[in-house]
Amino acid sequence: MNHTHKPGDGGAERHAAPMVEEITDFEVLEIAVRELAIEHGLFTAEDHRRFTEWTESIGPAAGSRLVAKAWTDPAFKARVMEDAVQACKEIGIDWAEPTGFGTPSDYMNLRVLEDTPTLHHVIVCTLCSCYPRPLLGMSPEWYRTTNYRRRLVRWPRQVLAEFGLILPPEVEVRVEDSNQKCRFMVLPVRPEGTENWTEQQLDQIVTRDCMIGVALPRPGKTADVHPVQKARRPVQGSEHSGEAAHEGDK
Amino acid sequence: MRATSDVELGRIALLEDLRNAEKTWEVLAPRYGVTNPNPPWKTSLTAMCECLSASGALPALDRRRAEDELADSVYREVPPPERQLLALVHVMLSRGLVSETDLASRMRAVRSRLESA
Repeated sequence: MNHTHKPGDGGAERHAAPMVEEITDFEVLEIAVRELAIEHGLFTAEDHRRFTEWTESIGPAAGSRLVAKAWTDPAFKARVMEDAVQACKEIGIDWAEPTGFGTPSDYMNLRVLEDTPTLHHVIVCTLCSCYPRPLLGMSPEWYRTTNYRRRLVRWPRQVLAEFGLILPPEVEVRVEDSNQKCRFMVLPVRPEGTENWTEQQLDQIVTRDCMIGVALPRPGKTADVHPVQKARRPVQGSEHSGEAAHEGDK
Repeated sequence: MRATSDVELGRIALLEDLRNAEKTWEVLAPRYGVTNPNPPWKTSLTAMCECLSASGALPALDRRRAEDELADSVYREVPPPERQLLALVHVMLSRGLVSETDLASRMRAVRSRLESA
């Protein structure tokens, strides 16, 4: 099964109809435990509504806009590199939402990692699944797996190859480990062939995976497609090698 | 057995009864021609996790550690959205935030209510 995603759709495709015409025990369980939690005073229905509304409002389109604007506006890019949380307000993203001090899972400290032709960044959270949600929406399931989290820091080129991203040896790979105090996002290199493009054209090719660092933007590619099969052509000479492990060190 | 996250990794009867592979979203959605990748309760579940963390009842890091351990053991065979839900409820029961008796009773009431609508 392939996973596809188009930027700007709120992180996951949502459809009002058709619906599943049966009530599952899982649906019943979610409602029941939530009602009991509210009755026990663990949180309020109003808080739950606010977080639900916020969750449905986030998606990778915001990150795409930030990257496109940074590519076309050097002064904005400088502000992003200086104080990314503050710069996000210029594209309509306030990290303080929805509580006034962010969410418990989104510490208000963002660093944007700028790629160069010889340096490629990729983000992970080895501890749990920390992710820049206000900019990228909910993390993909594979980002949360222990497989990705454990292996990326040890064999980054191998894991990137499994996403179809094979980088030449002269490009340094730097893995950045998110944590409870800081979030990261990748600012990829603007691809060739986009010189006269508008911001709106550019943000269409900045997919979620480009901002995680497991893909590169390129003209004509506006959706992420993930193969689930392991790459048949592993990166030359890097199978569990010391070199690859060293590159994963932060 | 007790894991490093402090969550009990023993099986919970009420949750074991719910482990019906034929009722997971990855099976049900194609059966009904629904293309939404997530079940309708997924966003609410995410919000519930945030609320529990915000109130201090169940910090996000504790929950994620327990979720990882349960995903590698008790709920290994369950697909992601259902596994996250079962893991959250498992932790809440394990910590005494809700009781199994209350939850079973409330589930019967909720089902009755939904089916009468």
